[in-house]
Amino acid sequence: MDLARFLGSRALRFALLCVSTASLLSPLAAQAVPAFARQTGQNCVACHAGGNFPDLTPYGRIFKLTGYTIGERALPLSAMAVASYNKTNNTSEVGGLVDVTATYPKDGNVIFSTASLFLAGKVTDNIGGFVQITYNNYDHQNEDSHWVGHTVSDNLDIRYADRLIDPKQDLIFGATMNNNPGVQDPWNSTPAWGYNVVPGSTGPATTPLLAGGLAQNVAGAGAYVYWDRTIYAELSGYATANGVWSFMSHGFNTGRGDQQIVKGTNPYWRLALTREWGPHNAMIGTFGMNTDLYPDANDPSGPTDRFRDIGFDAQYQYLLDPHTVTATATYITEKHIYASTEPAPLDPDGSLGLGLPDTSGSDKLDMFRAKVSYVYQAKYGGSLSFFNVTGSANTALQTAANDPNNPGTVAGEPLGSLNGSPATRGWTAEATWTPLQNARIGLQYTWFNKFNGGTNNYDGFGRNASDNNTLFLYVWGAI
Amino acid sequence: MVLSSLTLAVAAAAFGAGCSTIERSRNLNNPAVPAQTLALQVCSICHGVDGNAASPNFPSLAAQQPAYVVEQLTSFRGHNRLDPAGFEYMWGLSRGLTDEQIKGLAAYYASQKSVPPAYRTGNPQRLSDGKEIFERGVPDKNIPACMECHGTDGQGKDNFPRVANQHADYLVKQLNVFQRTDERPEGAVMKVIAHGLTPENIEAVAAYLEAVAAK
Repeated sequence: MDLARFLGSRALRFALLCVSTASLLSPLAAQAVPAFARQTGQNCVACHAGGNFPDLTPYGRIFKLTGYTIGERALPLSAMAVASYNKTNNTSEVGGLVDVTATYPKDGNVIFSTASLFLAGKVTDNIGGFVQITYNNYDHQNEDSHWVGHTVSDNLDIRYADRLIDPKQDLIFGATMNNNPGVQDPWNSTPAWGYNVVPGSTGPATTPLLAGGLAQNVAGAGAYVYWDRTIYAELSGYATANGVWSFMSHGFNTGRGDQQIVKGTNPYWRLALTREWGPHNAMIGTFGMNTDLYPDANDPSGPTDRFRDIGFDAQYQYLLDPHTVTATATYITEKHIYASTEPAPLDPDGSLGLGLPDTSGSDKLDMFRAKVSYVYQAKYGGSLSFFNVTGSANTALQTAANDPNNPGTVAGEPLGSLNGSPATRGWTAEATWTPLQNARIGLQYTWFNKFNGGTNNYDGFGRNASDNNTLFLYVWGAI
Repeated sequence: MVLSSLTLAVAAAAFGAGCSTIERSRNLNNPAVPAQTLALQVCSICHGVDGNAASPNFPSLAAQQPAYVVEQLTSFRGHNRLDPAGFEYMWGLSRGLTDEQIKGLAAYYASQKSVPPAYRTGNPQRLSDGKEIFERGVPDKNIPACMECHGTDGQGKDNFPRVANQHADYLVKQLNVFQRTDERPEGAVMKVIAHGLTPENIEAVAAYLEAVAAK
């Protein structure tokens, strides 16, 4: 196994961890779309529960499942921007060897973080879409340490849909083409729409691949049915978004390290049971995906890592003006079977692991998330969410290792792990104020009780989980 | 592989587009779309296929007086009905409707059978008080009986809407709109009548009407 392959396989989780960390400033989230409001002529509250994006009402879910085709064609353009302030509890130097400013970029500064352009609306009576393009103002730093912006494809969902309805039957059926497994889902307990939707929100560093790990890396197509507003079923397949479909992954590439390559077409499935009664509605469901991922995106050949993700989720809503309650719970269990368990070479730059062999040929990663939100008068809101990630420890994920400047010594990694465990647990509380239906101010605080396997000294250099507690203030606006 | 499957999907979509039929359109700005199609494809999402809305957030329209439905939809379309719960949802949906489509929608709902809501938000202990107000009014405040205009069974007449089997929560909110605002000028007569109703009166009459046997 060559070095490049090692970097892709043994350290894949850690690489994903780094990507997740980078996503502290990542724009991979879509918001309410005023273009849809112009199309239907309705206020945001018609589709968004309590006017609170991204939570959908039963009407909003039908709007999505019928291909965004309700209403009349209107100017299909919208834009949004997010300004934010992020303050991490402790960003001080750890181990004396690591440049923490790279780990906590722009911490303590008010920044204009992202802006998005939406192409959204109905095309015909059966075809509609939602296409988001996002500019990330703080994408990376150049050689002069100046921040450089970058424009990327964001969530995309183009549909064909039809509905057979009369007093005796109701069948919605359609096809979706999208670039993020789960983004096509109309419930808010799925990873794409349930948690950390506001750009810049923080959360667990390591999450299952299905929880956004393939977003904007893949192109997928699938078919779905929703029968009698009771049973929803969907089957989709995802492959690497390249060639003619590379517009779905625009701005992502293997050179940047944010484009992964999957082998063939990878199946995604979804089943949900729903019920509406009075002001209540509820859903219980399951979803999953099998993914064959090349360990080295730069050399997509040979054996692949296999990810088997199975999720169970539930959602409850109470909608009766002026009160809106949305509660979601999501559990995803993932088995990651490595392409190879060969001993790995030492990591020369000290950032991607200890370089020990895997402790087993596979790892397990479980994630549980739950969230309850309340909105009053579609204006004042609050939410509380809980996250708990557990999984098998792997020596390949240990980061207290191998200082590149002093071979044979060790260096700390602020978001690394001493014991190679992904275990992370914490809470996020948020208060929101929506003075106008297309403007929102939010204040979040995230507490970490455990981070990457430990509460105290999780990185081996004295850093505690609570050091990652984060205050996050944002202002969102859309037109 | 993905190329072929995606191409297939796009081809299916294009084929589907060619097969799209006006009988299943959700276009609210096409005069050719039949009213019944709009009722089923769009209105049913909130008001129910048969006009009996499951959620008390939305009024039931089954067996509603057609003149009243025409008046309301016309009022929404002309931005004359200003209560937030109404305009947030209905101004946009009604903006492209033709007079013919509005009449068709009114006829569709008038022909449906009304049933009491399965989920009730009214206080059942107040049913007798509500019945009293509905049938006799509040004499010491000179509030007339509701049934004088809305019919002995709450079935409505012409522009006076059917109120029987309506969601109590909806009735309470609308009576408050009449009592406290001028957001429904077409119902100005109700402002005078609702003026003297106490919150308890409103809760009671709404609970009674929600639960009253359908006729």
